[in-house]
Amino acid sequence: MTTNEWLPLALLASSLLPGLLIFVLPERRIALRTTLNLAGAGTKLVLVGVLLRGVASGKEYSARFAVLPGLDLALKADALGLLFISLSAVLWLFTTLYAIGYLEGSPCRSRFFGFFSLCVTATVGIAMASNLFTFFIFYELLTLSTFPLVVHRGTDKAMKGGRVYLAYTLSGGTVLLAGIVWLHHLLGHTEFAHTGIVAALAGENAGQLKAIFLLLMTGVGVKAAIVPLHGWLPQAMVAPAPVSALLHAVAVVKAGAFGIVRIVYDIYGIELAASLGLLAPLAAFASLTIVWGSVRALYQDDLKKRLAFSTVSQVSYIALGVALFGPIGTIGGLIHLVHQGIMKITLFFCAGNYAETLGIHKVSEMGGAGHRMPLTTLAFSIAALGLIGVPATAGFVSKWYLGQGALAAGLPWVLAVLAASSLLNAAYFLPVLYRAWFLPPPAAWPEGNILPRGSRETTLLLLLPPLFTAGLTLLAGMLAMTEFSPLAWARLITSREYQTWSP
Amino acid sequence: MVALSLLLSLSALASLVLAPSRAALDIPWLLLGTRIVLDDTGRTFLGFSALVWFVTALYARAYLRSDSRRSVFGAFFLATQAGHLGVCIAGDAVSFYFFFALMTFAAYGLVIHSGKPEAHRAANVYLAMALLGEALLAAGMMMASHAAGSLLLADIVRTPLPTAAITLLIAGFGIKVGVPLLHMWLPLAHPVAPVPASAVLSGLILKAGLIGWLRLLPLGNEAWPVAGTVLMIAGFAGMFLGIAFGVGQRDVKVLLAYSSVSQMGFLSLGVGAGLAQPSAWPGLLPAVTFYALHHALGKSALFLGVGVAQAYGARPWVFAGLALPALALAGAPGTSGLLAKWTLKTALDLSWPWPSVLAWLLPLAALGTTLLMARLLWLVSLKKAHAVSPSGLALPWLALVPSGVALPWWISPHGTATGVTTAEAMFAASAPLAVGAVIVWWVIRRGIRPWAPPPGDMLSLLHNNKEART
Repeated sequence: MTTNEWLPLALLASSLLPGLLIFVLPERRIALRTTLNLAGAGTKLVLVGVLLRGVASGKEYSARFAVLPGLDLALKADALGLLFISLSAVLWLFTTLYAIGYLEGSPCRSRFFGFFSLCVTATVGIAMASNLFTFFIFYELLTLSTFPLVVHRGTDKAMKGGRVYLAYTLSGGTVLLAGIVWLHHLLGHTEFAHTGIVAALAGENAGQLKAIFLLLMTGVGVKAAIVPLHGWLPQAMVAPAPVSALLHAVAVVKAGAFGIVRIVYDIYGIELAASLGLLAPLAAFASLTIVWGSVRALYQDDLKKRLAFSTVSQVSYIALGVALFGPIGTIGGLIHLVHQGIMKITLFFCAGNYAETLGIHKVSEMGGAGHRMPLTTLAFSIAALGLIGVPATAGFVSKWYLGQGALAAGLPWVLAVLAASSLLNAAYFLPVLYRAWFLPPPAAWPEGNILPRGSRETTLLLLLPPLFTAGLTLLAGMLAMTEFSPLAWARLITSREYQTWSP
Repeated sequence: MVALSLLLSLSALASLVLAPSRAALDIPWLLLGTRIVLDDTGRTFLGFSALVWFVTALYARAYLRSDSRRSVFGAFFLATQAGHLGVCIAGDAVSFYFFFALMTFAAYGLVIHSGKPEAHRAANVYLAMALLGEALLAAGMMMASHAAGSLLLADIVRTPLPTAAITLLIAGFGIKVGVPLLHMWLPLAHPVAPVPASAVLSGLILKAGLIGWLRLLPLGNEAWPVAGTVLMIAGFAGMFLGIAFGVGQRDVKVLLAYSSVSQMGFLSLGVGAGLAQPSAWPGLLPAVTFYALHHALGKSALFLGVGVAQAYGARPWVFAGLALPALALAGAPGTSGLLAKWTLKTALDLSWPWPSVLAWLLPLAALGTTLLMARLLWLVSLKKAHAVSPSGLALPWLALVPSGVALPWWISPHGTATGVTTAEAMFAASAPLAVGAVIVWWVIRRGIRPWAPPPGDMLSLLHNNKEART
């Protein structure tokens, strides 16, 4: 086996092996479990670094195993996949650190971290899948490995949320499978390729292709929480904060959004999708979701629910960017895959800090929280302003490219959607900041699980991850034009998807 | 924080001296590719802004000496200042938008500073309108830079823009300028903010909207008769609405806020004229810039002076220090106000029917401003001194007043300084003052109490109706 073949496998193994080991580890072996977790996360980061260098210089990394004749389990680390992998590798490290701090002293931690690692493995598998069959396998593995995390607390509410989650995602998976089988039957394979693979069928099977597109989009649309398939996401909020953070930023909704990107670009090809008239309905559904999610977020007093509806809205920016025919829109959608991740994970980390440190779960209880927890609230503020699209944050870069992409695609109405979404984002985030910074604190906080230690507002493991990701939000916004930004990588991907365009 | 504010102002002033004319600096790795420029317009705005920021920072240090949250104020003040000075020198759409947003969001902290319920309300109105402005601007700037195929403002002003972009940019910046119907935040925010914050809000931050118009609209390159005419009419409406709503106010700071709505109307008029008639723009640009300088120095001196009057009472030196900028705003002979008005009037070289409209309305506006300023001085004369007056308040103000008188003469556009000394100009300037004096005498003799609408006028009416229904 050559280096190019084992690297993708090593990338999977770097989270799979620690995960399996942790499962069999006794509960009290905290130090060993932490070491395994961090060693896995660190190894994955190093591997991702190697792959990024290689792919940037045009190398290919792939591995393939025949399952049945004509049906291969195939992995390939290409530029698009690496965008998603880099995001999950970096955020996995932060979330692991955060989860160690968050779950300190709580039961069933081996089970938790075991499934946590499996969940990341599935995400990386989805990113590296090089055909729809492999994609589907990991997509379902993700569903199964996240379910125990959602119901981790074991309460009635958690079980109910978990059941809703499972019902939605398994139904979605079934629809996705139907689409994949149909396509496989028509084409004989489902290997991803730049500029698509179904162009040859477009002549006589256009109708079937459209139906398959609908099936595939419905399948991945459930996880991407496209309206009206988004019902599970607010229910899944019963999960512990690190799980919500991972679900919203990296794993589940992002897997759905990534699926949309893969199917449009590497199965249909953006030009064929445009000529079949598939992009306009996608743009319409994405816009509907953007506005609907924001409107629903306005009415949530529960902080995590508000964030959940905000995710519904924000993830559809990715779908919108994909649906805008043209390289600028593509860049906008792809960078938002990363940008939304770092901003939203910050918000969930902070929401967890408020809940664990002060017992705050509701927006209406947030008065004066900024005085008690200034650093957490600073991180929250940066991420919230970022999602609104304030310049010098990552969110502004996303919105700028989406807006420019919409104008280039001749769809100026998208600007109205973006403006409305920014105003709605402001309308549900700024009251939170207003309460936290400008209202006086209450006489006593609802409850506190973590006492302040000296001058520090909460434990370091809870404080540092949101500060890091908030810092990334600013860096991605201010240094977008540098070589190492998500924007630079999205340009690279785009130049490979649109072969006649150079950035 | 104050030290940083002073340092920032000084370095801005130093850059005016040291940087070569039309200097440009590219920072390709910052934001989406940043360009900093120091052209003639930018130099003027940067110069008077840095001066006012410097003086106000010193003033704020004394004004907030016994305020326990002064460092919070200082931080917001510094951020607002950085944003505002950045707006003066930004050379590309994205960094301009960044600086503009920084200024807008940071100024929220200045408005809400006192923490009183009315400050919270005013700050939230301010923020809501500012956000609307930001959203309009974001869309307008995206359209503009898409049409230009470039982020550079220099390219955007040369590009024919779609109507939607022009509309969005006029309205988006119009909220900051205080164009009528978009001005409601102004009379609410000014009275609740601490005095130094009101001074920079009225003196400088409103001007940032003007800079936006100057930097992004195709002034002098492309004719937009309808948009230009609408803006001119809005300018006139602002002039007279500001006077009508302001003249009866009992709170000096509300009156000054309405006066700003009125004075910014002159600037909207100038920009609208340039939009409608590009041939007039080469003469209008220096006139508008000069008017902005005159108003910035005069209005900030008035606000700071009101704070001094609150502390020391209406002593003769306080009164004299307020009368000078008040006379300047009214356009009295020998003041920068006359110079500014005269320059603007001569530059408004427009086609029919504007000459006759201007001949009627401009003296009427001058009369209105005279009445406003008379009312201001009368209100100030009623002020009693505080038991404890903060030390160090008067000095920065006393330094600003003469520079407001002298500086405009020094840097006035070529040839205008001689034009205003003619007998004709003197008469034109004196007539509204004389008529104003007669009216004031008559009002005082009859003991008439003028009408004072609630600050925020239309918004308050809406608010009251809502309360009446529930």
